[in-house]
Amino acid sequence: MEELKVNRSISENGREREDGEEEEECEKEVLQFLDSMDSYIMLIDSLSSTLRQGWLDLASARHSMGPSRINSGLFDLKLHAASSTLNVTELDDEVVDQPYFTLSKWPSLNDKKCDFEEIEADGGNFLKTSNSPQLRHRGSSDASAFFEGGKEEPPASDGSPVTVDNQVQKERSKSLSVFGTLVSPKLRNAQLSFEKALEMIVQLANERSTMLSAHAQICRRHQEFC
Amino acid sequence: MAGKAQLPTSNSALIAMIADEDTVTGFLLAGVGNVDLRRKTNYLIVDSKTTVKAIEDAFKEFTTKEDVAIVMISQYVANMIRFLVDGYNKPIPAILEIPSKDHPYDPAHDSVLSRVKYLFSAESVASGRR
Repeated sequence: MEELKVNRSISENGREREDGEEEEECEKEVLQFLDSMDSYIMLIDSLSSTLRQGWLDLASARHSMGPSRINSGLFDLKLHAASSTLNVTELDDEVVDQPYFTLSKWPSLNDKKCDFEEIEADGGNFLKTSNSPQLRHRGSSDASAFFEGGKEEPPASDGSPVTVDNQVQKERSKSLSVFGTLVSPKLRNAQLSFEKALEMIVQLANERSTMLSAHAQICRRHQEFC
Repeated sequence: MAGKAQLPTSNSALIAMIADEDTVTGFLLAGVGNVDLRRKTNYLIVDSKTTVKAIEDAFKEFTTKEDVAIVMISQYVANMIRFLVDGYNKPIPAILEIPSKDHPYDPAHDSVLSRVKYLFSAESVASGRR
């Protein structure tokens, strides 16, 4: 009789521990979902203000250069490849598809520079932050601090920062050349704003992917319980 | 996982755009523009003359192209083809609704947020308790 009671209490303890672990796992998923949703909304906010700046610069450039010099009729329709592309990889997730996007700017630049751009574009420690939910403060420097400024500081150990900078300028000039050789500095500012916006778009796509993956996991768990 | 489909991974996937002229111009300056052998672009400029049919066709084309990883679409344009945007649920290409110059972004219309918002509704909580 005593032995039966002990066995029952052991099995009850085991079940309680399992339930506790499952609850913890569930809370972790919900937290990750809420965290990614918060980041998504926060990034949309930052994207809105960056795009607004870009449109303003573009309008200023159009004002100083004239509407005939900045319009869609001048777009290059000859065969050419995009200079900003994406690398798509799949994150290890057993349950749902979770693509991960990395921006790759100007593939013609040397590999080292490309790696630097990729790290810059994906927010550096995205993987680290996305897998460990933590408190985030809306409107804090979290996203904006990263995208602050032109961010053209080349790797110090590279030894050829000037060359890299020149190449970046050359690539930028190539895109600007559609609108003429001598363009308004405002157009260059607009280009920087839209480059920044593009980096945010990629981060936004990653947050979207994390959010949908967390959402799918929560739904799956919900179905298991019901 | 046996039932899990393999995602098409890529090293140089494109970003497609369906947006107003200024937004497209800006992103072309950022180097997103691509013209393929058939002289097809990866963007559609939407203005007052653009028909809903043209937007639908562009959306279908971009979402079925294998080399496109993200489709950016201005939210007001997405509202014109809401049934298509809301019905799309593949992970790649990812559809991102972005703000436009004349129309502010409204999270209530965002297809991704509306897909997940039911988790916050009182009804879903009640059905979970039942």
